[in-house]
Amino acid sequence: MIRFKCWLLVLSALLVCGAGCSNTNSNVSAKFTKDSETRVYEVFGMDCPGCHGGLEKLVKKIPAIKHAEANWQKKRLVVSVREGAELSDEDIYDAIRRANFTVGKRIN
Amino acid sequence: MKRLLLISFGSLVNLVLVAASANAAGISVDAGLTPAEDRWIFRTQVRYMQRKNDPTAAGRRMKTYAYPFILAYGVRPDLTLMVRQTLKDQKSFMSGSSSRNTDLEDLFVLGKYKLYRRNTPDYTFGIASTLGVEFPTGSDPFTSETWDLQPGVYTSWRSGPWATDFNIAYTWNGFADKGEGGLNPGDELSLDWALAYQFSFGEKSRVSLAPVLELSYKKIGSDRLSSDDVENTGESVFYLSPGIKFTLSSFILEALVQIPVWQDQEGSQLERDMTVIFGARYMF
Repeated sequence: MIRFKCWLLVLSALLVCGAGCSNTNSNVSAKFTKDSETRVYEVFGMDCPGCHGGLEKLVKKIPAIKHAEANWQKKRLVVSVREGAELSDEDIYDAIRRANFTVGKRIN
Repeated sequence: MKRLLLISFGSLVNLVLVAASANAAGISVDAGLTPAEDRWIFRTQVRYMQRKNDPTAAGRRMKTYAYPFILAYGVRPDLTLMVRQTLKDQKSFMSGSSSRNTDLEDLFVLGKYKLYRRNTPDYTFGIASTLGVEFPTGSDPFTSETWDLQPGVYTSWRSGPWATDFNIAYTWNGFADKGEGGLNPGDELSLDWALAYQFSFGEKSRVSLAPVLELSYKKIGSDRLSSDDVENTGESVFYLSPGIKFTLSSFILEALVQIPVWQDQEGSQLERDMTVIFGARYMF
């Protein structure tokens, strides 16, 4: 019984972490501003909300990226570019491939 | 060509190994798709299992709680490493008395390699092979004395809200040595098929809810002493398992009930009752 309670404690900690790290869409969208360049890419292979995080983590590592948001239902990746930074599409494509997804076309 | 050779090799390994016994995994959706590079996944479950209906007059029964803790990491897009440590708490009853054992199970290390993946606008299909080693580190006096090898092949298909998986895994117990007195636990074969339908909550939602149905066949070979089978060991079980999976962008909650719809034990063993599984995954 004590071990079951310990497991529940671990689960509660995970819930707190999960809730804290699962951004709502409204919070994320606020990070795209009119001041920064926004690009939209088509991405195939994202089939559930859990697919977002891996791709966004890799894309956000690109120095020129200010913010990134993936949508599994629309099969889209939206990125905003830091002011004055140069962003190569190939860097985005490389991140998409390393996330195990397939690059479609650049939409915007 | 290299990929074709890898697929052929993986298939051949499994064809050769499909001969003896099984391991009903429980919640196996997505297993054929390797995660992104640099992705960490922490997964834990609580599994409640019972064995009862003693065919002898001893009135035996058994209750077990198992707590597997799993950490996985996407080393490369095509390679994931995983470590699993399980804590097991078992209570046995016989003739009105009971005994309790708490053991650390063997440490299990597994590598998953992406053999094939195709992402299209209409579907996603993936095949991954696994190779795991169970080290004799646990405190269970019987199963923890041998090095065990576990190869497997996992396939996943996604199309719209539908998802289906087919997985096969084999556990070769004592592949490198034998247990005390030459006794080895029987090998295990598991076949799992899973079907899920994913409900989402709006086009921009980062949440989904998926009812899951799994069919699992598990065969455990008889234990061996020298080259002879040990009596009252070895069994086959077929599970029907309804469940549910709740997914957020970095968190998954899952629950499954494994119902043994058919089982066949050698000799006078206890029968398996329902297994209840609650699990959580945190991805970062």
